[in-house]
Amino acid sequence: MKMVRRVAFNLFAWSVVGLVAFPLIWMVITSVKPQFELFRIPPTFLPETVTFEHYWTLIYDTPFLKYMRNSLLIAFGTTLVVIVVATLGAHSLVRFRYPGRERLAQLVLFTYLLPSVVLVLPLYLLMVWVGIANSLFSLVVAYTTFALPYALWLLRSFMQGIPDDLEAAALVDGATRMEAFIDVILPQALPGIISTSLFTFILAWNEYLFALVLVNTDEARPLTTGVMNMLISSFNIEWSLLMAASVMMSLPLVIIFAFLSSYLTRGFGAGGVKG
Amino acid sequence: MATNPLDRRYALLGAVLIAPTILIFSAVIIYPLVSAIYLSLFTIFTPTLRGQWVGLGNYAELMASNEFWRSLANTFIWTVFTLTLQIVLGIAVALMLHQNMVFRSLARSLILFPYFVSTVVAVLVWRWLFNDLYGILNYLALISGLLQRPLDWLGSMPNAMISIVLVGAWKYFPFVVIAVLARLQSIPDQLYEAAKMDGAGPIARFFDVTLPQLKEVLVVVILLRAIWDFKEFDLIYLLTGGGPVISTQTLPLMVYKEAFGLNDMGRASAIAVSMMLVMLVFMVLYLRSAGRSEREGAR
Repeated sequence: MKMVRRVAFNLFAWSVVGLVAFPLIWMVITSVKPQFELFRIPPTFLPETVTFEHYWTLIYDTPFLKYMRNSLLIAFGTTLVVIVVATLGAHSLVRFRYPGRERLAQLVLFTYLLPSVVLVLPLYLLMVWVGIANSLFSLVVAYTTFALPYALWLLRSFMQGIPDDLEAAALVDGATRMEAFIDVILPQALPGIISTSLFTFILAWNEYLFALVLVNTDEARPLTTGVMNMLISSFNIEWSLLMAASVMMSLPLVIIFAFLSSYLTRGFGAGGVKG
Repeated sequence: MATNPLDRRYALLGAVLIAPTILIFSAVIIYPLVSAIYLSLFTIFTPTLRGQWVGLGNYAELMASNEFWRSLANTFIWTVFTLTLQIVLGIAVALMLHQNMVFRSLARSLILFPYFVSTVVAVLVWRWLFNDLYGILNYLALISGLLQRPLDWLGSMPNAMISIVLVGAWKYFPFVVIAVLARLQSIPDQLYEAAKMDGAGPIARFFDVTLPQLKEVLVVVILLRAIWDFKEFDLIYLLTGGGPVISTQTLPLMVYKEAFGLNDMGRASAIAVSMMLVMLVFMVLYLRSAGRSEREGAR
């Protein structure tokens, strides 16, 4: 009886998981079907012929690789800037005492909730005025508006978890505050820094609104707006090509999920998942 | 406060470390925020960026515009329905994943994936699923007899609103799963043992033990998700573009349309600022509850 219930529960649970994952599975299946097979009625569930032609088309006949390069540069750039600034900032917020510190922490949380749509118009005007509109750099700058508050908040909660005694012990041994930061705090905070970097990277990789407003050349366009452009500008929509693009766009996530998922879980623990 | 020289030096070092943050914040967040409020007092023609002072004129026009109220109502409808679904689904799936099941970590990863996948990818996939001629959803609904003829999922009402609510729920419920699952794991087993001794069945145990324990985390999750759903742009813009006509147009979409479709950045800013004022209620509530839990955590 117990056995039957186990099996029944597992069947039920896995069908729920399958249902949730179905759109993504369907994406992969569609991406390896030849175009004509998509228009078969009734549709074939498993592809009759598996083809990677759409992936080749994507790489050789569309600006996909250029978009991908842009996305990589923007996401790595944003992550690097944000993590360096936020690590120093979070350390300051957690271990130093100065007037206005509490207010500042509140401000960080407030900016973390701020809607991008309020900031995007003034930022657009600012970029035009400074003369950096339509560049990869302008997107890195724009992405710090949401990535920096987010990383600060996450790193702050990671660093609060490091006991004060560790730094105190280093200071007693004659280290300066900065030496203690580099030799004691940083190694302790490293897992938190890695997990914050991953989340920041994903945020930047997936961003759409700023890219839509601030960039309108293929030279600086990231994958999100680039791939949407392929949908809008094509005369008849080639779904299998778009699904192949979607699969390729999700590759970094798959890599992170497969090899670095322990860092993701750590990030959830610190309460830092943004939508 | 800092009287001895070492304390003062430390305070200075702390200020130096936070300085880059403050600089960036001032340039890309505080300045644009103030600027948005300032812009909302002008009418600004987007292509030339020429502006004319109109004072509160933009706001007066908005208050009198049906489109604004319609978009505000849409924003609330979208937020309430998708959020409710996210919470219910999130709790249910978290309870499920909390049980023993085979390949649990794989199941967890698969459940979390929609949350991390780009909205662009999610939208492309769903638009393909929703496709009226070759979409798998219409096909399955037809052969199972749920539908008599193919459904126009995104191009007519109320289907379009239902579709975005469903896709929103699918994309964002994993956030609730993560938060609830973490909390479930820290509920002491004795509570369930005690409830069992008192003869409580599984349903009674859920309402009497689990739910009260989850209350705190749920408040935070609901506020956060309410804020994020309220300001959602990508998903709705890419799925329906606000259509048919303006039936699914929420405030963020209206901001974008005013600024780049109708070319008035001033009016667009006024909408953005009004939207932020509405959101401020949730934001203050969240800041309060976050402040409270922080103080408790420090204790």
